[in-house]
Amino acid sequence: MPDNCILEMRGIEIQFPGVKALDGVDFFLRAGEVHALLGENGAGKSTLIKCLTGVNKKDAGTIIFDGKEISPTSPQNAIAMGISTVFQEINLCPNLTVAENIFVGRKEFKRKVINKRAQELMKRFHLDIDVTRPLSYYSTAVQQMVSIARAVDIQAKVLILDEPTSSLDENEVQLLFSVMRDLKAEGLGIIFITHFLDQIYAISDRMTILRNGHLVGTYDIGELTKFELVSKMIGKDMEAIFDMHPSEVKADASTMLNADHIGAPGAVHDISLAVKQGELVGFGGLLGSGRTETAEMIFGANHITKGKMEIKGKAVDIKKPFDAIMNGIAFCPEDRKRDGIIGDLSIRENIMLAVQARKGFLHPLSRQEQNELADKYIKALAIATPDAEKKIGELSGGNQQKVILARWMATQPDLLILDEPTRGIDVGAKAEIQRLMIQMCGDGVSVIFISSELEEVIRCSNRIVIMRDGAKAGELVGPFDGNTQNRILQIIAGEEVGA
Amino acid sequence: MSQKSHGSNQSLISRIMNPKYIMVYATIAIFLIIYAFGAIVYGDVGFTTLRTFVNFFTDNAYYGISAVGMTMVLITGGIDLSVASVASLTGMLVAFGYTRLGISPVIMMLFSVVIGVGLGTLMGAAIHYLNVPPFITTLTGNFLARGVCSLISRESITIEHPLIDKLAGFKITLMKFSEGEWVKIKPVTHINLNVLIFVVMIIIGTIILQHTRFGRNVYAVGGNEQSAKLMGLPVGKTKVAVYAINGFCSALAGIAYLLVVKSGWNMALQGGELEVISCAVIGGTLLTGGVGYMIGTMFGVLLKSVIPALITFNGHLNSWWGKIATGALLLLFIVIQRAVVTYTDKQKAK
Repeated sequence: MPDNCILEMRGIEIQFPGVKALDGVDFFLRAGEVHALLGENGAGKSTLIKCLTGVNKKDAGTIIFDGKEISPTSPQNAIAMGISTVFQEINLCPNLTVAENIFVGRKEFKRKVINKRAQELMKRFHLDIDVTRPLSYYSTAVQQMVSIARAVDIQAKVLILDEPTSSLDENEVQLLFSVMRDLKAEGLGIIFITHFLDQIYAISDRMTILRNGHLVGTYDIGELTKFELVSKMIGKDMEAIFDMHPSEVKADASTMLNADHIGAPGAVHDISLAVKQGELVGFGGLLGSGRTETAEMIFGANHITKGKMEIKGKAVDIKKPFDAIMNGIAFCPEDRKRDGIIGDLSIRENIMLAVQARKGFLHPLSRQEQNELADKYIKALAIATPDAEKKIGELSGGNQQKVILARWMATQPDLLILDEPTRGIDVGAKAEIQRLMIQMCGDGVSVIFISSELEEVIRCSNRIVIMRDGAKAGELVGPFDGNTQNRILQIIAGEEVGA
Repeated sequence: MSQKSHGSNQSLISRIMNPKYIMVYATIAIFLIIYAFGAIVYGDVGFTTLRTFVNFFTDNAYYGISAVGMTMVLITGGIDLSVASVASLTGMLVAFGYTRLGISPVIMMLFSVVIGVGLGTLMGAAIHYLNVPPFITTLTGNFLARGVCSLISRESITIEHPLIDKLAGFKITLMKFSEGEWVKIKPVTHINLNVLIFVVMIIIGTIILQHTRFGRNVYAVGGNEQSAKLMGLPVGKTKVAVYAINGFCSALAGIAYLLVVKSGWNMALQGGELEVISCAVIGGTLLTGGVGYMIGTMFGVLLKSVIPALITFNGHLNSWWGKIATGALLLLFIVIQRAVVTYTDKQKAK
């Protein structure tokens, strides 16, 4: 056993109906370390965390925390012992003020006191916000910071961060990391769960890898390269998975979309861009730089007030998403939980939605046609499900994303806009989605691909448009090399870096 | 981040402009507009006197008392359809207990408060621990209380007791200091016991909601019950307590109503629960939970009084216009609430 252990989990077993979710997993956390917990979706990370926080009962094994054996019975119970969790979904009350959210349920209570202390805490997070405003007034990133502030301000000895960075932009991630380093120095043990491999290497000291409910191993961060890590996570060779190249754009390809200085007040301005048939154009830039807004504008969700747009050489005036759909544009939004899936409908029904909308309600698809279409895409996209009638809400994130992709592919669009299609899904599914995009381009569909991970934008795109502060900051044309990432970062950063 | 810097010493203006108060401001503004309208049109026939204003409180005081508890229930995201029946049962118990059984009204009042709190606690427990939707649970409570009323008596029972007369007759005459001595305000204006109870309950309600740990838990439960649980808050206890408090308010409202009509009747206050709910909603309480203020509810009650007052002053209009106006107001407020929620969502997206 390593020294200085704050938390030892030994031989943890959890049985779910039909599956063994965890089978003899050991996990040791030292005080003052950031320990990454890794694995694909379904590997057992969440189950292990839920066992530690008292949500799921373990069937076998022991947990020793701070020298004593414990078996938490509920999240409250775990918090009281000093194990705090910050989840990917924000578990705060939107109607309470920032200060109230940090202090509700705790000893400090008077408005004046908590407002002052909350303001100080937020300063430590380098956020100068009005803590007396309701939480719902602020962006997701701020809300995430508030929930971390709440978790660490409780006298926690172990802090679990479950995908805390998935809604943060690069600056905010750095901010979070600096806070994590402070907390680490104070002797807190931090369990860090994320899909972003770069972040693991940037902040973690050690990592534990799980696969299919089994322990693969615990390693020091320097011990494994990124490739070895991913190979261990998926149990296959990584090289083969990510060996992909953008498809060639034909020299005589016609122009699919031509936007000339388009803009919408308050969102983005002065965007010029051309997308050829079969071309994959990646949008790079920070969160909030206007990538999504540009996509929404092309799709008609945000009305264009300036400039002109042409589709296949014809001037168009797209006022609402329906116009865009009728012009062969499809848009797969960023927040699939909110804007994309309808959890209680089946996979078939979810796939059918956009096709039916395009055909109009007077031309219903027969059940036969629906079944054929659904089965075709389940097969084509390798969606992991027993049949098309399963509720989409019961699928994993990666498979939900594939269903959304299928929904828009089924409309046979000429231009498909994908906003963060790979966020929050595991490595294997990510590679599959990327491969699908490239394959579609090969079939002559134009794709606009928005992602916060530059690496994947560079890997898949024929051309990259870089956004900054609501305007286009630059454009790079492939093929790309090892230097591309730096050039993009320079463009994002503006003149300061170049100088 | 686009949020402006505020610093710890924020200005009074920024504190007042806090978006969480928008709904309350809307209620007060609409009350003031209607009041100003009345003042301009009927100012010369006494609309602007203090007496008319105090009457806004007097007219619906029993609804107001009940609305204090209802506001808390609505903030937790629940609803209580039993309040009017429980109030009616209170009047019935006191009237029947004294007139037929000869038990002192004081004891019967205490007994009916115990019944109100007990029923509230039971319903709260069913809602939280058995996970029965509040609508169904309290609808059952409504039928139960109304049924017991009819079981006791299907006729109105008048109550004549010196204490009841004394309480009903209690009033404070408002005075002003003029030319070196205290004189009665003209026209003579009284504050009766019901108005006192109403105002005191609003103040107590405000203190509970804004300045106690319990009050903050009430808002948290209404904001996101799941989160509140994960934050380690006593969700179950809070919900049960809120329904118990509401049961207390219902019984108190029943006593206040008894002081007005001096009788118990099994069909008294029928549909009153909806009046109470509409007071809270017009006062800016969100039916979806999480938002609401006692001061807003108070103005909601005043708005419900000012409209019939206008009709009375007019003298020609059918009194049913009051219902129509209330309906229109309710609709207006639900639309405003929707607009505010949509607006803040949009703000956040930016």
